[in-house]
Amino acid sequence: MAVIDDLTGELSRLPGIGRKTALRLTYYLLKRPPEEIQRLARVLEAVAEQVRPCSECGNLSEHDPCAFCANPRRDPSAICVVEEAADIGAIERTGQYHGRYHVLGGRLSPLEGINPEDLNIAALLRRLGNGSVVREVIVATNPSVEGEATALYLQKLIGPLGVRVTRLARGLPVGGDLEYADGVTIAEALAGRREL
Amino acid sequence: MSAVASSAAFRKLRLRNFRNFAELELSFPPAGVAVIGDNGTGKTNLLEALYYLEIFRSFRGAPDEQLVRFGEEVFHVRGVLDGAGSAREIEAAFERRSRRKRVAVNGAEPDRLGDALGGVGVVIFSPADMTLVAGAPGDRRRFLDIVLSLNRPGYLGALQRYRQILKHRNAMLRSGGSDALLAAWDEGLAEWGGRVVAWRAEWIAEIAPGFARRYAAIAGGQTARVAYASSVPLGDTPPGAEAAAEAFRAELARLGPRERERGMTLVGPHRDDLAILLQRDGGEAELRDFGSGGQQRTAAIALRMVEAETVRSARGREPVVLLDDVFAELDPGRSGRILELLEDEERGQVILTAPKESDLELRRGSLAHWRIEAGAVLT
Ligand SMILES: Nc1ncnc2c1ncn2[C@@H]1O[C@H](COP(=O)(O)OP(=O)(O)OP(=O)(O)O)[C@@H](O)[C@H]1O
Ligand SMILES: [Mg+2]
Ligand SMILES: [Zn+2]
Repeated sequence: MAVIDDLTGELSRLPGIGRKTALRLTYYLLKRPPEEIQRLARVLEAVAEQVRPCSECGNLSEHDPCAFCANPRRDPSAICVVEEAADIGAIERTGQYHGRYHVLGGRLSPLEGINPEDLNIAALLRRLGNGSVVREVIVATNPSVEGEATALYLQKLIGPLGVRVTRLARGLPVGGDLEYADGVTIAEALAGRREL
Repeated sequence: MSAVASSAAFRKLRLRNFRNFAELELSFPPAGVAVIGDNGTGKTNLLEALYYLEIFRSFRGAPDEQLVRFGEEVFHVRGVLDGAGSAREIEAAFERRSRRKRVAVNGAEPDRLGDALGGVGVVIFSPADMTLVAGAPGDRRRFLDIVLSLNRPGYLGALQRYRQILKHRNAMLRSGGSDALLAAWDEGLAEWGGRVVAWRAEWIAEIAPGFARRYAAIAGGQTARVAYASSVPLGDTPPGAEAAAEAFRAELARLGPRERERGMTLVGPHRDDLAILLQRDGGEAELRDFGSGGQQRTAAIALRMVEAETVRSARGREPVVLLDDVFAELDPGRSGRILELLEDEERGQVILTAPKESDLELRRGSLAHWRIEAGAVLT
């Protein structure tokens, strides 16, 4: 029983998965052919070994720099700042944005004790420092109260550097997550972005 | 008085393990009913159940756990309503152990509880309304917030956002963040707080004449008035959301150093009050501190009447009126004048309770009378 319990235990640590769902997943996996479980195990191992935050932008990737930072056709004069690497996919799916990205790895939340030092902000300021070609920073944090405060804080830091700072228009559902918003909404929010 | 097309009305109510009711099924006459019974038989509990379908909380502020019948695990409340076109069914259930609440309108669970609020269109008058007048500012803010959440679309969302920001900002002040960090929260605080303040100011200005008129009518000559005691300094006319946010920002800037010292936000709608002032020769006095019991009851009833007026105009239909033992403690003159006012203004369904039959009868005695005894209603 021990390994089965271990599996249930590990699965129940995943976000949104309670004890009951973890048990269901465990018994689902146990009924699959062994090759299938081994394939999953190998993928997990590969991910653990190979995926790292890009040292330039913080995106999660098996290459450093990541595909966005390494791609010469991505416009280097624009940086879109997102909370999590998963948010990049949502913006890419609109097909409307061709610049670079920067991943904060979260948002400010005094209640949870998340401060600027805990976010990937220093690297962003380095990207905007001496000799930078960046002319616009689009802050695409979530429209939650934490995301809005993070956007304003970034504006206060970046504004004085002479870089244009814009914010996604509030087309996004209030309290919604970028990751789950649909492509059309995000495209509209991008087009309607405003000066902060 | 505005012309109103339709009336809200309870047609049926079914309770299971709610307070002292094990199992109860009632069909209400369209005009309403008078429920008569001794102390402690469940009169207030019955009205509490009806009002639960409007806000999915106890109107007395009791936690849901207390509403589950002693020794039981789950309560159910289900109501069938007339009005606003077709019949609607609103139901709610709460499980003590998991503390889970389920709400459904016509069988469908809303995405958010907030979407189902105010589905009935009902106002309750209760002896506990004394706290609206005699209680702390927080009691009156709760009143404002409930009335506006139910009758001004967008208010509840703005209030919730304001409260979230406030919690973050207070945490920030306690931990001593930089000015830039604090400023990042100020903007949202002022923006959403400004909306809350503007809505409150506008509503209070709107109901002030109606409150004064009703108070005077009941009190037979004495006068009282309501005013918005906002911690954000406002002019004489209600500001828009923009202007309120602007005034809020200025006040935040002024209080900044003291807020850092105290580690909390010292201005904003979370510190407001609804002032209720008794007018006497030579000046005004807070009814809260200087009113007699009867005067305070009178003001509470006038407040509920303006709330009913708001429900009527915001939702375009006559509200159901629940009257819990309203004439207790009032002299015959006042009771009679309240009766006249209610008779004149409240034309929808009336469900009232009293410990004994009385000669104070609404609808000229035409309401059905039910007896209630220890959790059982004899119709
Ligand atoms: N969760 C519960 N389970 C069972 N009984 C309860 C519960 N909560 C309250 N009661 C009972 O309900 C009764 C009080 O009911 P209620 O407040 O409706 O009385 P009432 O008829 O309004 O009386 P009054 O005329 O004094 O206002 C009390 O006997 C109390 O013990
Ligand atoms: Mg009672
Ligand atoms: Zn990168």
